[in-house]
Amino acid sequence: MSTLGQLVISGILIGGIYALMSIGLTLIFGVLRIVNFAHGEFLMVAMYGAWAITRLLGLNPYVAAVAIVPAMFLFGAIVYRMIINPALDKPHLVVVFATMALSIFMQNVALMMMTADLMDVPPIFGRSITIGPIYIKVELLLGFIITILCTVALQWMIKTTYLGKAIRATVQDGEAAMLMGIPVPRIFLITFAGGSALVGLAACVMMPLFSVFPTVGLNFVLIAFVIVVLGGMGSIEGALLGGICVGVVQSLSSYYVAPAFGQMFFFVLFLFVMIFRPNGLLGQKGAATIGMNE
Amino acid sequence: MLVTGAVSTKKPMRVPILPERGRLSWFELVLLLVCIGLVVASIPSSLRDVILLSFLFGGLALAWNIAGGYAGLISFGHAAFFGVGGYTSTILLVHYDITPWIGIWFGGTIAGVFGAALALICARLRGPFFILSTLAFAEVVRIGALNWSSLTGGPEGLSIMPTPGLASMVFASKATYAWLMLGYLVVVYAITKALEASRFGYYLFAIRDNEDAASAAGVNPLLGRTLAMALSAALTGVGGSLFAQYFLYLDPTYVISPELSFQFALLPAVGGLGTAIGPVLGSFLITPLSELLRSYFGNSAAGLHLVIYSLGLVVVMLYFPSGLAGALAKLARWRPFS
Repeated sequence: MSTLGQLVISGILIGGIYALMSIGLTLIFGVLRIVNFAHGEFLMVAMYGAWAITRLLGLNPYVAAVAIVPAMFLFGAIVYRMIINPALDKPHLVVVFATMALSIFMQNVALMMMTADLMDVPPIFGRSITIGPIYIKVELLLGFIITILCTVALQWMIKTTYLGKAIRATVQDGEAAMLMGIPVPRIFLITFAGGSALVGLAACVMMPLFSVFPTVGLNFVLIAFVIVVLGGMGSIEGALLGGICVGVVQSLSSYYVAPAFGQMFFFVLFLFVMIFRPNGLLGQKGAATIGMNE
Repeated sequence: MLVTGAVSTKKPMRVPILPERGRLSWFELVLLLVCIGLVVASIPSSLRDVILLSFLFGGLALAWNIAGGYAGLISFGHAAFFGVGGYTSTILLVHYDITPWIGIWFGGTIAGVFGAALALICARLRGPFFILSTLAFAEVVRIGALNWSSLTGGPEGLSIMPTPGLASMVFASKATYAWLMLGYLVVVYAITKALEASRFGYYLFAIRDNEDAASAAGVNPLLGRTLAMALSAALTGVGGSLFAQYFLYLDPTYVISPELSFQFALLPAVGGLGTAIGPVLGSFLITPLSELLRSYFGNSAAGLHLVIYSLGLVVVMLYFPSGLAGALAKLARWRPFS
């Protein structure tokens, strides 16, 4: 019983962290209606950044976020200007191939610069918290708390601020928003860069828990897509819900099912969700069946 | 192979200079003659490697294009079919002593079944989700091949005995392999051309361009997509078998890698999606380039050729989305003296 409890708690906490990584993706999809295939590679680059700051400056990865988050915002803005924006008015295949190529590019530049070795940072907290029979890793708990804070802050931003309202208006009807004087291209830029910054934050939270290597993005991008589909496209609370589901399923299956399956887990989970619940947990219309540019 | 179909009833028979949909042109015939010339000419063996790989990858790019270009099923998982084809014929040869001349048909068939299965799994998916499902599917096949050691040899891979012979489809001379690969390229090209002019081909264009309208007009989109994917996968599987017969070694981390899948999609994208000549031109441009980079930089810069590919692809996609075939079509419309 306590094993089960342990697995479920760890699953929920890790799921929260997965959710943080997916929020950027769901935000970009919700607003721009494009999918950034290089999302996982953005995470990879940010993780290398956090790793470098931790190793070279001796800071801890949470402090590194102060530098990584703005850096990723800038990186996102540059990618948007150079690749996404020119591709927006072209056939949808252009965005697909361009971001796919960007992801291959980033993977191989990382491979050339950092080699294929796994990099990690030394543990930050020596011991776990114990509640009754259950052990909780402090890094996990901290990551979960950061996710919750981030979700709440983002919700508040979208509900109340001018920028948030402008984003919602753009989602509802881009043309009408433009006529009302909302600078839609700038909203796109801010959303894309903001989504990238969130990935930067996720990378700093994940660095103490996972190793980084050039193709680390592929596993995580698939989880992110599963979460986004399960929770409903463009929904931030949905991402949290989806993340927790994925975390718990992963935690339980890695314990109860054969370890060879562990490598396959993300891919099988992805296909499984795509076959059986392409409309998400709550059955929102057309999450996975949606076209690329409408 | 002059399939002119409905067009010929309106226009007088003539062979166009530059490629057109569903018809053979002088350009293609001359290109074929050049290819034959390259096989026959006495050239250094390292160069012959490049040539026969360009043929093989040209065929593979055409096979990918049937799904990706004609039916709009963009797949980043074709390496799975390549691997399944290669493993099937190799396992039949190594474990059961069945000649690859028969094994190739089994390889193609089983890869085709995998392709149909993928299309059915993804029946309800479009756009990015379809693409990611193909990627995930290929990863499942790769990890499966790695772990099913009794059949596939696992991470150590499978080797084919290098004893030359017609029955074992292992040849001492690279020229023979070059003929084999050129034969594959020509067969896949002929199938593509026939498809372009056929009723089924038009169904695929209709499904790709407007699925609702196609289905309202009585075309079954699911059937079309499934058959297109199965055909594309089967031809890719045959390519995988030929690859195995040439390299005499298969290992899941290469033959079912996402990099290889990316390469299959890249060649038609650079050459021109949804055209027959595009993937061939793409392969003839990029395969030699990649071999050159590999031999020039060796292993000191792993991944460099992919860095250059992907940069090139971004530029092609943003500025020349119709690829090399698009440039050729522009040339066809160019009338300098009128």
